[in-house]
Amino acid sequence: MERSSVRWQGEKESVPDQAYILVVEDELFVRMFISDALRDAGYRVLEAFNGDEAVEILHSGAHVDLVLSDVRMPGAIDGMGLLAFIKENYPALPVVISSGHLNPTLALASGAIRFLSKPYQVDEALDLIKSELDKVG
Amino acid sequence: MSAAITASSILIVDSDIISRHAIADYLRHCGYVVVEAVNTDEALLALNEPSLSVDVILCDMAAIGTRSGFELATWVRQNRPELEVRLAGSSDNAADKAAELCENGPHLARPYEPQSVVDYIKRLRGNRERAKIA
Repeated sequence: MERSSVRWQGEKESVPDQAYILVVEDELFVRMFISDALRDAGYRVLEAFNGDEAVEILHSGAHVDLVLSDVRMPGAIDGMGLLAFIKENYPALPVVISSGHLNPTLALASGAIRFLSKPYQVDEALDLIKSELDKVG
Repeated sequence: MSAAITASSILIVDSDIISRHAIADYLRHCGYVVVEAVNTDEALLALNEPSLSVDVILCDMAAIGTRSGFELATWVRQNRPELEVRLAGSSDNAADKAAELCENGPHLARPYEPQSVVDYIKRLRGNRERAKIA
């Protein structure tokens, strides 16, 4: 098989027209469901199990255009901790917080650009993410 | 490697997000449907979900969870013998196994270069380590 040229597109610069979404969710099937829906909508998706993994992938320099994060997750930092970390270290990176129990006002006051109440419809999530990405160009 | 693979969906079990993401992204680019499991417990959840079709499991030997990667492979061979399990012990090894799957399975674009996946993983890990030090 010819392998002389690289076509694998694992880096942002090779696919400039696709936005990268980091989905942070500890429930396997919820994470799969929203990630697959985002991929079907044309986004590139990075899946993180919890806040710790999200910090790792952000520290690695992997390109991310928007973070969609759950709140209650196992690990050293939960979704609100991740939000605080991002606001401090990557202040331009938009974060959407999703939760079934958190007061939306708290998430928005802490720097989340939007709040997505669980359980949500996939179209609702897609519309929200598209509108936020459109704002940042 | 074994006989020609006709798989269309792959379950990746890897507790290192950088390796998992890079290999999963690579395989998706090759045309596979990929399920990402962060540990062996998530892998078993996926395998026990009737609506989820998995043909091949690519499992890191160091995957965490109630079972080790080896124990998960043993469970699969005993309980789901129709599935193929490939154990990976390093990023290079995982990329090679992913490349084999790309060579034998669905194709969206060719050619593939597994070394680019390994290089990508190394670069991200280097960045992560520098960020930890800083």
